[in-house]
Amino acid sequence: MARIEVKSEITGTVWQLKAKPGDKVESGDTLIVIESMIMEIPVITEDGGTVKEILVKEKDPVAEGQVVAIVEE
Amino acid sequence: MSWLPEIEELHRRRALAEDCGGPEAVAKHHAQGKLTVRERIAALIDPGSFREVGKLAGKASYDAEGRLTAFEPAPYVMGIARIDGRPVAIGGEDYTIRAGTGFGSDRRKGGQGGFIEDLAYEYRMPLVNLIDGTGGTVNTARRKGYTVVPGYGQDGMERSVDLLGIVPVVSAVMGTTAGGPSMRAILSHWSIMVKGSGQIFAAGPPVVERAFGQRLHKDELGGTRVAVDTAGTIDNVAESEQDCFEQIRRFLSYMPQNVWELPPVVDSGDPVDRCEDALASIVPRSGRQAYNMKKLIGMIVDRGSFFEIQPTFGRAVITGFARMNGKVVGIVASNPMVGGIVDYKAARKQGHFTELCDMFNIPIILFADVPGLMVGVESESDAILREGVRARFIGFQVSVPVFSVLIRKCYGVAGGGFTDRGGLNFKIAWPSAEWGSLPVEGGVKAAYRREIESAPDPAAREKELEAELKRLASPFRTAEAFAVEDIIDPRETRPYLCQFIDALQGRLRSQLGPKFKSGVRP
Repeated sequence: MARIEVKSEITGTVWQLKAKPGDKVESGDTLIVIESMIMEIPVITEDGGTVKEILVKEKDPVAEGQVVAIVEE
Repeated sequence: MSWLPEIEELHRRRALAEDCGGPEAVAKHHAQGKLTVRERIAALIDPGSFREVGKLAGKASYDAEGRLTAFEPAPYVMGIARIDGRPVAIGGEDYTIRAGTGFGSDRRKGGQGGFIEDLAYEYRMPLVNLIDGTGGTVNTARRKGYTVVPGYGQDGMERSVDLLGIVPVVSAVMGTTAGGPSMRAILSHWSIMVKGSGQIFAAGPPVVERAFGQRLHKDELGGTRVAVDTAGTIDNVAESEQDCFEQIRRFLSYMPQNVWELPPVVDSGDPVDRCEDALASIVPRSGRQAYNMKKLIGMIVDRGSFFEIQPTFGRAVITGFARMNGKVVGIVASNPMVGGIVDYKAARKQGHFTELCDMFNIPIILFADVPGLMVGVESESDAILREGVRARFIGFQVSVPVFSVLIRKCYGVAGGGFTDRGGLNFKIAWPSAEWGSLPVEGGVKAAYRREIESAPDPAAREKELEAELKRLASPFRTAEAFAVEDIIDPRETRPYLCQFIDALQGRLRSQLGPKFKSGVRP
């Protein structure tokens, strides 16, 4: 099974977790919402599969390019 | 007596050139999933339109009687052809012959200057470079008996630079590319890389390993993920060689033949008065929420005409070409899916694209939803201010008409980049638009800090001030003052813009030719 790293495209803080480990997700689904400069920026998985890990919790600071979730195909 | 023996000899030599580096080298090349340069040219151009130049160039061996015994063609194939019926100059390295390195000819055929670039320059026609060469080799010293200073003799890059102000130049990175060919790839108006087989770097993995002891696969060092998505060194990715050729044809369809002409008008059959109802509700009422700007663009421009440039780099800004009632326009739009917040990559991308449109007399439509430049120590360390101001500087210097369509946010230095202060400064807004030096949220705290802190209930006072300022932020108040030229029903955007794009064609025709710009970019 392929292990896919899902990254935040932007620096900000975790606003909401939309998925949890074990959830089945499809390409284009929002896993996490990052708040950056008063905007809600979705972190979207490009690949479908099962959420293996969510690596952040609400209010955590996140850097651009940081891996925030793992999805297994 | 006729010249038939010599004519036969000519045809024999032409046939030898068709063999590229010989069956074994060609089979090896094919096994890597790559076409030969001759196959590539044939796949890209209008069928049967290739007129080759310099096919007899190469290294020949002769016997004592002066008869040809062996022939190795020059590792570069070039000539003229047609793409969508228009002439282009086209050339590429033949990787099957010594990895497409130079061969010591009297005159360079192409690749870094050379005949094909001179031809594109003299005839004022687009140039397409199909790059698959590894550049210089230390073997040159053995061949010449001495080493050379970079940029010696036939270097030719000065011609490559000249071309950038005269005719469209396209580069396709179709193999592992380093040194001089890398430079050639970047000296273009638009570049594309074939995923998997294309890489580009200043120097390849062996040189990196020697320098730092770091062992990297060539794809990790200069594949699409680094060169296109992360660095923006190359603009677009092709999934295959065929996809690469289709994208090159597409890019050229938006380009004029040279700066003295306008791009071709292509009737899309899409009615000018098409008004999409979905535009009335595409923008969420909450200013915090994202929506799909590419979908919005698609509903306004001629159906199916949007071609995105640099789709994976600097994603806060979307850039691309489209048509409005058949006429080519450049689109620069905020991307709310990544907040529309302009980081240094997005600023660089916006500046470059603006300059590209201006060079080829393509009017620009700006779709703004920009909260500002990216803030924070990371962004400041990336020189966001310098990059942001440079993009503004380029914007101030454009000579093509620019429209601002203010969709939602338009704030600060980055917001100013979505207006045309150097020209007509024509701004049309949707009812969802808001603007200012900075957003009310956050801005209130900065401007009224003392008043808020000294209030009996600071949080309540902050909210009161926010509410008061938000009432003043209605776009209708700005329209009353004619500080925005119009507020329009979002559904009218297409007919509104099409009418102005039609009307400005005379302006474009009045300013054809090379553009010389003064000043030092910040």
